Amino acid sequence: MSRARHEDWALLELEPGADLAAANRALRYRRSLYHTGALATYNLLDDDERLRMLERIDEAYRRITGCEPPPDRAPQPVNAPPEPADTAPSDSPPDPAVEPGAFLRHHRLARGLTLEQLSTETKIRARLIAQLESEDVAALPAAVFVRGHVLQLARVLDIPDANQLSARYLAKVKLD
Amino acid sequence: MIVELEPNAEEGPRVWAIGGGKGGVGKSVIAANVAVTMARSGNRVALVDADLGGANLHTLIGLATPKRNLSDFISRRVASLAEVMNPTPVDNLWLVSGAKALLETANPSFGQKGKLLRHVGALEVDHVILDLGAGTSLNVLDFFLAARRGILVVVPEATSIENAYFFIKAAYFRKLKRAQPRQQVKAAIEEVMAGESRRTVRTPRDLMARVMAVDAEAGAALMEAASTFSPSIIINRVERSEQARLGDEMGSACRDYFGIHLRCLGVFPNDALVKRSVEERRPTVELFPQSPFSGAIRVVAEKLMQRPALVNP
Repeated sequence: MSRARHEDWALLELEPGADLAAANRALRYRRSLYHTGALATYNLLDDDERLRMLERIDEAYRRITGCEPPPDRAPQPVNAPPEPADTAPSDSPPDPAVEPGAFLRHHRLARGLTLEQLSTETKIRARLIAQLESEDVAALPAAVFVRGHVLQLARVLDIPDANQLSARYLAKVKLD
Repeated sequence: MIVELEPNAEEGPRVWAIGGGKGGVGKSVIAANVAVTMARSGNRVALVDADLGGANLHTLIGLATPKRNLSDFISRRVASLAEVMNPTPVDNLWLVSGAKALLETANPSFGQKGKLLRHVGALEVDHVILDLGAGTSLNVLDFFLAARRGILVVVPEATSIENAYFFIKAAYFRKLKRAQPRQQVKAAIEEVMAGESRRTVRTPRDLMARVMAVDAEAGAALMEAASTFSPSIIINRVERSEQARLGDEMGSACRDYFGIHLRCLGVFPNDALVKRSVEERRPTVELFPQSPFSGAIRVVAEKLMQRPALVNP
């Protein structure tokens, strides 16, 4: 996954930096335009073009939000990310100010959760959780989403002071 | 077609072309009512019945078949288009009727079209409304493209929408072809239109990208032509609220597919009073000014009369 490109925002007719709720509305609207039998695009596209357009929409949504789009009529095959070899958590968690990603990972493993399981809980793609944990800056979505994802992970993992953690995370990866 | 009415010209009338692929969607009724509304607001308006196959605008504004019409001009019985402008019961509104033009001018030559467009641009009025016929013949497309703004009328039915997209595609490719003198690029566009290269070029956007990759200069010319292709749409006979969104939805689809800006100019309710006024051969805005349809007509007429907003759409 890479960061959202200008075309991704444009395809969903979103202002860069729009929040998840706006992205979800845009996704529903775009999909409704290209569903089989949609009046607004009647016979504009053939079936191949229509499916390709739906794929492009989902891809743009993924890059923007870092989330797997909710299932549509024709669910997309999920490319499961390679599960990194999980190491047993050490007794003391990493310092969240220095290694906020590793801190998240520590809490996940402490609860015995795989990336997939946490993904199911949080609706955040497993690959993205792995990228958040490894602070893979180049792959992360816009700051507004990173903040939301970190808050969500902290909530599900029962990490206290989620706001502070997300602020530290953003400061660490230098997303504005 | 070389003649193009200068879209930003401050002199001369502003020309609006109303088309839409399918017959019976209300193009002429809308053209007539918008023209009457503009004239009642103090603008000088020429309503030109450019439906070269089935003209009947005179009936809609309560005029007997005018003696002089477009065929007199095209066949040079009169020297200028102004001479076939017929006064109407509405002050400031003139009608150029196409009433008897069927046999002689249903297929005017290249030169005749150019001459007609030059004369339209020289009419001493504020607005010209061209009521185009149904279909996507080159005549219709050229008039549509020559106007300051082409306006498509669509009803919320699959057949009408299918026709509208067919029309937009045809006009879009015609515009690109005209903008592109290079034979190679012309051939590529023709290929796409014929659907022969679907494997490599899927959408107009793809075509643009492909031309850009092969010949940046030609690509830039195409981009320029595409960026000035910005038709408007009116959704007519809307009965349910979700149909009112159709204009914006088609706008989104056009942006995705063609990369063009399709602007929704208005949404007209299905209004039984329209039929009544047509039966009485009077414009709806005159006979039933308080009807929902008349209200929607006024909104569109206002938009078209706003000068700056449409010079830079």
